Amino acid sequence: MIEAHGITRTFAARRGMLGRGGVRALRGVDVTIPDRGAASFIGESGCGKTTLGRILCGLEDFDEGDLVIDGQSMTALKPKERAPHYRRIQLIHQDPYTALNPTRTISQILTDPLRLRAGQTGAGGTWVTERRAQLLELVGLDPDYVLPRYPHMLSGGMRQRVVIARALTVDPVALVADEAVSMIDVSLRLGILQLLRDLRTQLGVSVLFITHDVATARYVGHGGELYVLYRGTVVERGPTDALIASPVHPYTQSLLSAVPVLRGIESPARDRVVPKGPLDERAEVPGCLFEPRCPFAEPDCRNQPPPLVTLDSLGDAPGEAQAHACLHPARRSVVPVPAVRGTAPEDPERSVLPTQRPTEPGPSPT
Amino acid sequence: MTGEADLATADALDRTGSGAAVAVRVQDLTVTFPTPDGPLPAVAGVSLSLVPGGITGLVGESGSGKSTLALTLLNAVPFPGHVAAGAVSVDGIGDVLALRRAELRRVRGAKLGYVFQASQNSLNPLKQVGKQLLDLGRSHGVRDRRALLRRARQLMDEMGMDAARVLASYQHELSGGMRQRVGIVFALVLNAHVLILDEPTTALDMLSQAAVLDIIRKVHREHHLTTLIISHDVGVIGDLADRMAVMYAGRIVEEGPTAAVLANPMHPYTRGLLTAMPRISGDIGAARPLPGRPPDLASIPRAGCVFRPRCPLATDGCAAAEPPDTVLLDRRFACYVTAGELA
Repeated sequence: MIEAHGITRTFAARRGMLGRGGVRALRGVDVTIPDRGAASFIGESGCGKTTLGRILCGLEDFDEGDLVIDGQSMTALKPKERAPHYRRIQLIHQDPYTALNPTRTISQILTDPLRLRAGQTGAGGTWVTERRAQLLELVGLDPDYVLPRYPHMLSGGMRQRVVIARALTVDPVALVADEAVSMIDVSLRLGILQLLRDLRTQLGVSVLFITHDVATARYVGHGGELYVLYRGTVVERGPTDALIASPVHPYTQSLLSAVPVLRGIESPARDRVVPKGPLDERAEVPGCLFEPRCPFAEPDCRNQPPPLVTLDSLGDAPGEAQAHACLHPARRSVVPVPAVRGTAPEDPERSVLPTQRPTEPGPSPT
Repeated sequence: MTGEADLATADALDRTGSGAAVAVRVQDLTVTFPTPDGPLPAVAGVSLSLVPGGITGLVGESGSGKSTLALTLLNAVPFPGHVAAGAVSVDGIGDVLALRRAELRRVRGAKLGYVFQASQNSLNPLKQVGKQLLDLGRSHGVRDRRALLRRARQLMDEMGMDAARVLASYQHELSGGMRQRVGIVFALVLNAHVLILDEPTTALDMLSQAAVLDIIRKVHREHHLTTLIISHDVGVIGDLADRMAVMYAGRIVEEGPTAAVLANPMHPYTRGLLTAMPRISGDIGAARPLPGRPPDLASIPRAGCVFRPRCPLATDGCAAAEPPDTVLLDRRFACYVTAGELA
């Protein structure tokens, strides 16, 4: 289990520039990720989601708050003692083209960390080769094909699978995937997303998924928690599907409104929420941070930052699970509706996708 | 605001002067690249028409030949690529492939506006946007620099930008979405009536993407453009385009009105792409990955249907010859098996 309590992080401004102080990337974020759980973080560029991911893997320091990994507080440890704990949380980053050393074969890339691991556990050389093949098969690659090859000989999707296999060599408790499919061909993306989803059940690792794309967060984070970040604060959180289906924070609603609507198979939602103007990462306001861009802002929004409260303050809420930080939460219909058979604008005879034969997942290496 | 009025009339004159609305016709176009195995086609026998005043979407994965096809519209196929066969004609220009260098230079920008892939990173980091705009005017022999600036300001106003600030800014002072908008301004500032956008929203987050899509929609409508938008993202095309073409391994495998293609895709590749897309509503468990991987030039099958190695419907018959287009009212697709479904 990973718990983050009140994490803050401010990046200092370059001295002399503008004189407006630093960027507050995180302003007290609380996150809990249970074992085998999934947490997705969504928000636009500059919302702090990448910084949070890097802090969770120990690649970035935090200013205040605490990070507790399997009951062990990181602030209670000296920096040197933290490393073995952070190693259990592995980062899968965006670009599989630069994540692998181009001068080394996949075999070399995977063997080194496994040898280290074998040294720690006292396992023999055969364990290394067996484990190597096992991990590659787990991520959907054919060991005989991949092992002798260099990264440039593999597609982006296969490289990202190698990156995931490499992360698994250290038996992590959690993977942090930061925009892990944005540089991969569209027809191969779902395979990677499916792999991340399967690893949760097969290996019991937790997956922290960072993205600006709500649809992929919905896929990977199925059954997990969704956190909506805005300027370093959690503005809304809840069970992934429930939150996407009925968000009450205007910022979450604007993210969902931005999802393209597929003509012919989806109808646009009734309401469309569009923020006023672009994000200004430096503007500090006393009240709600989203207020300057919020189309529904009221005068009292400028007084103080709204706290994160559970949804039942809205009156008709089903549970504790969903929380939001808005003084005037309201349900709005912002999700495009799939067209029901017979209601598509064109071709009323067959508006539903023709059924397909089930296909084998994963790339075929030949 | 007399400046704007002048410009509007100039605009109208230009359009009436050039006769009919501009549209683009690509016929049987083949573009080859030399490889160790001899020249191989990145674009193979492609025909595509851009409807005047319409937004056409071209969707495909990396290596499908979509950018090569779009660059051919400017007769700007990058070396060592070579147009081996086919014709590209633009109303008001004629055969683009027959133009000499000086004429090409004139029509690029003046008739055809192109927003390049990653154009948000293609501004000169050492020069202010305004200076780069004047450079653009100079290289196209624009005499009236004031009118050029006026037109740029007008376009920026329309796109919701603070023109004075943007013109005085360096690239690094603008966000990704802003730079993309500047790319569109540069493409339209010389009065182009055909706008080609290559991956205009890649690397932008959802909110910037939605804003840029709105802007494309707006300038398309207000300037009576014929627009071609190229993307790997079915979502972007499905939201924006009136007609869409799906490209795979250098071929257009399916084309038609967007709503019809999405509601009832006929090519197995189109079907596969749609099924592989997670959506924010509906059954998330229904998403299925597409098997295999997109081919590169060397691995495209030389005979038969190019999608055959990844196709769940492939039969032995698909290996014999490339499937011809099945034409169905305003749609076409190239598949033997699904053509049989119709019978």
